[in-house]
Amino acid sequence: MSQESEPNGAISLRMDLKRPLLMKRLSMVSLLLLFFLIAALFLGISIGSTGSGIGQGLATLFDGKDTDAMRHTIIWQIRFPRVLLAILVGGTLSLGGLVFQALLRNPLAEPYILGISSGSGIGAIIGILAGFSRFPGVSATAFAGSMGTLLLLFVMSSGQAMLKKDTLLLSGVMVNAFCAALIMFLMSVTQDSRLHNIIFWLMGDLSTADLHQVAILAGVLIPGFVLLFCLSNAMNLLLMGRELAQTMGLNIKAATVTLLVATSFMVSLTVANCGPIGFVGLVMPHVLRLAFGPDHRILVPASILGGGTYMVLCDLLARTLPDQGEMPAGVITAMIGVPLFIILLKKSGR
Amino acid sequence: MKEAIHTKQLGYSYGDLRVLEALSFSVYRGDFFIIIGPNGSGKTTLLKCISGILRPRTGGLEILGAPVHAYSRKSLARSIALVPQTAPVDFPFRVTEVVLMGRSPHLGILGVEHEEDLSIAHRAMEFTGVASLARRKLDQLSGGERQRVMIARAICQDPEIILLDEPTASLDLAHQVRVMDLMERLRHEKKVTVLMVSHDINLAALYGNRLMLLKEGRILSLGAPSEVLTFQTLEEAYGCPLLVDKSPLGDFQRVTLVPQKFIDPGIKETSRRP
Amino acid sequence: MKQIRYILFLISACSLFFYSGPSAAGTATDETGRPVTIPDDPRRVVSFAPSITEIIFALGREDRLKGVSRFSDFPPEATRLPSVGSYIRLDLEKIVALRPDLCFATKDGNPKDVVTRLSALDIPVYVVDPKNLEGVMTTIHRIGGVLNAGPKADAIIQQMHTRINRVKSMVAKASSRPGVFFQIEISPIVSVGESTLINEMIEIAGGINLAKGPTPYPRFSREQVLTLAPDVLIITSMARGGRFEAVKREWSRWSSIPAVRNHRILMVDSNLFDRPSPRLVDALEILARLIHPGLFEGEK
Repeated sequence: MSQESEPNGAISLRMDLKRPLLMKRLSMVSLLLLFFLIAALFLGISIGSTGSGIGQGLATLFDGKDTDAMRHTIIWQIRFPRVLLAILVGGTLSLGGLVFQALLRNPLAEPYILGISSGSGIGAIIGILAGFSRFPGVSATAFAGSMGTLLLLFVMSSGQAMLKKDTLLLSGVMVNAFCAALIMFLMSVTQDSRLHNIIFWLMGDLSTADLHQVAILAGVLIPGFVLLFCLSNAMNLLLMGRELAQTMGLNIKAATVTLLVATSFMVSLTVANCGPIGFVGLVMPHVLRLAFGPDHRILVPASILGGGTYMVLCDLLARTLPDQGEMPAGVITAMIGVPLFIILLKKSGR
Repeated sequence: MKEAIHTKQLGYSYGDLRVLEALSFSVYRGDFFIIIGPNGSGKTTLLKCISGILRPRTGGLEILGAPVHAYSRKSLARSIALVPQTAPVDFPFRVTEVVLMGRSPHLGILGVEHEEDLSIAHRAMEFTGVASLARRKLDQLSGGERQRVMIARAICQDPEIILLDEPTASLDLAHQVRVMDLMERLRHEKKVTVLMVSHDINLAALYGNRLMLLKEGRILSLGAPSEVLTFQTLEEAYGCPLLVDKSPLGDFQRVTLVPQKFIDPGIKETSRRP
Repeated sequence: MKQIRYILFLISACSLFFYSGPSAAGTATDETGRPVTIPDDPRRVVSFAPSITEIIFALGREDRLKGVSRFSDFPPEATRLPSVGSYIRLDLEKIVALRPDLCFATKDGNPKDVVTRLSALDIPVYVVDPKNLEGVMTTIHRIGGVLNAGPKADAIIQQMHTRINRVKSMVAKASSRPGVFFQIEISPIVSVGESTLINEMIEIAGGINLAKGPTPYPRFSREQVLTLAPDVLIITSMARGGRFEAVKREWSRWSSIPAVRNHRILMVDSNLFDRPSPRLVDALEILARLIHPGLFEGEK
């Protein structure tokens, strides 16, 4: 093997040494995405089914409660919680996809792969049939449903085998299929009016957001974000191979279990509140990886901010595109996500 | 202490299947210790036990004079580094990123690297000759280049002991020699103890100062290559006739496979090719 | 003399106190038992269901109506009012933008969460829950009360009673009660059970509801309908309007069914039959004519 000419080697290494250290890169990326997030937030509260007023949006920000109570209510009590919810949901789902892709070492992994969405669907249907209102009743049963599914999954994969990524994946696929069949059965025997509610729930819906609910969610999800950020280096190491990661000082069992449980919990909470919204968790990690590289210490905050922005924009389209009413958010994320994913596939040359 | 690694009656089973049987041996500091043996002899399992991936079922294991369970994971990682046979490339990192990961046993929870870590990585990459590949992605490299990146990563852990799992298995001839020479340099320049599992007996003969021949989880022979690589022990281990003579390069064993056509049924001695 | 006048004055003062307007200036209880703070004179009303829209128009209070749910299509004037979304999916923003001082919702259909959120935004929502014909009339009375249209409400109720009683007396002359199968869904075949308005109307109209049972919307296989052997088969247009001919043809293959043999497969407008509004009496009269054509031959 010929020696690469020294000048080239030295230059490229020097360039690489000059590459900004982690903290600098992290701040650059975060600031950039934060800018987009705030822009999306602003768009989100300015546009709605009763008209778009970017100027009005600005006005209510600065004039306070006195001017036009109705406008104020619409923007701050209806749109603002919804946009906040979209940020939390988008961030959690993207992060969920990122974590599962790292844990399972599979680029097709997404947050629902372990049966969370179908499990919570069953729980939600039971809640709706029992006549509960959406929050907290149906959310609680939906959450219980997904947690139950995960428990089933862990029992099936039992202990040591759980750490082997393929067992987990396969069991997840099986559980998903079973739950999906169960959902279809439940839908087929349901009476008319409740059936509508069930279908709407399954399509994903951010319209039920209110500040109280969002505050509770944020209180749980934000610490979750912090926890997952602390484990971002662990994810980098895990991608080098489980055993190798161990020889580099990582407690793989603790890391894997924590990542799995924390992420599942957060995603379940999200789905329990808004129904399953797809294609965020699958596509966003790839987009961000393409833009910012595979270092999870950058990708974790990027997923939260980028995923949040994406969801806000998708939700905005969902409520403004149709003349009457609104589309389910999941339709928009699919319509954008699928072509985006195909473009990404082409670009990565696979 | 003299001993880098010391085992006492080390045993391991996968469920009911007993893979390692009461192994007792020592690897001395500065050794180029090569473990050879047929498939299924337990070589890889032994390596995993030493590196801390598997916990021995029976017996004791001491690393640098202290029992292995006395080490925290991170402190063990600062003493022993493993170079795996292959590196997964599903989410390919850049070479620099991979090598820098070797610094994690020395860094905090987020693995934030400082200038000093970058220069250590730099030196490791220059040592293994991958400095020019710094910005390339792992999946764009050849097998040999990837192997040297993984070695650079291991060097960054700043270990006293380096373990290698069949490092030359999928490499072409030039890279095989290159990797072995790197290990030789590590021994002499950085005083690192090298413990390697290999299937290539000839390379083992040329580089190792002490060899250990395993068969079915037991030590068949342990010592200098000239003691271990004899016709009888090799045939007992591998179950096929092998020719052992001196390498033209010097005082090293040379092992040659003997195809069937050179063996006359009934004649015990192998004949030289005319 | 003076004392008598003084006592009379006291009595009238007291009666004023008791009869000070049908809608309490303050809290009333809606039909689900919720306390609702109702303004004395609601000026900006939003209706969340087509049936409620019809009632408000019938009461002559459409000038107060500022927004309706999407499918409020009767009377035709209602379609010109701003829509606040379908009654299963209400648009909170649109409702708030109309600045309502009172909203009307139904228990069966409108989502509970919207009602809760509106209450949290200090917009009163009066929920009605008419379960049968009497219930519909009570709802009309109560909405009339809230909207200060009490006399008009009473008049409507009076008229409804008259027409219902008329149907009852006409039908009493019938010699038999035909078996009726009322189909509200094509695929699967769904009919109506005990607790539904339609069931009640079939019985008043002199028929026997063959699907009567505890399940409100029971499903049937075609075999089961054959076994029931209805004399009259009524299909509601909600089951995809234009497909009536196709559905009729489908049933016509089963000539063992009396309804098929006697060509008594009939279609009705679902909007008349499903809405708990004053037009239910129209539906009742149509139903009576369909079930006992002979009794009504001389009329209309």
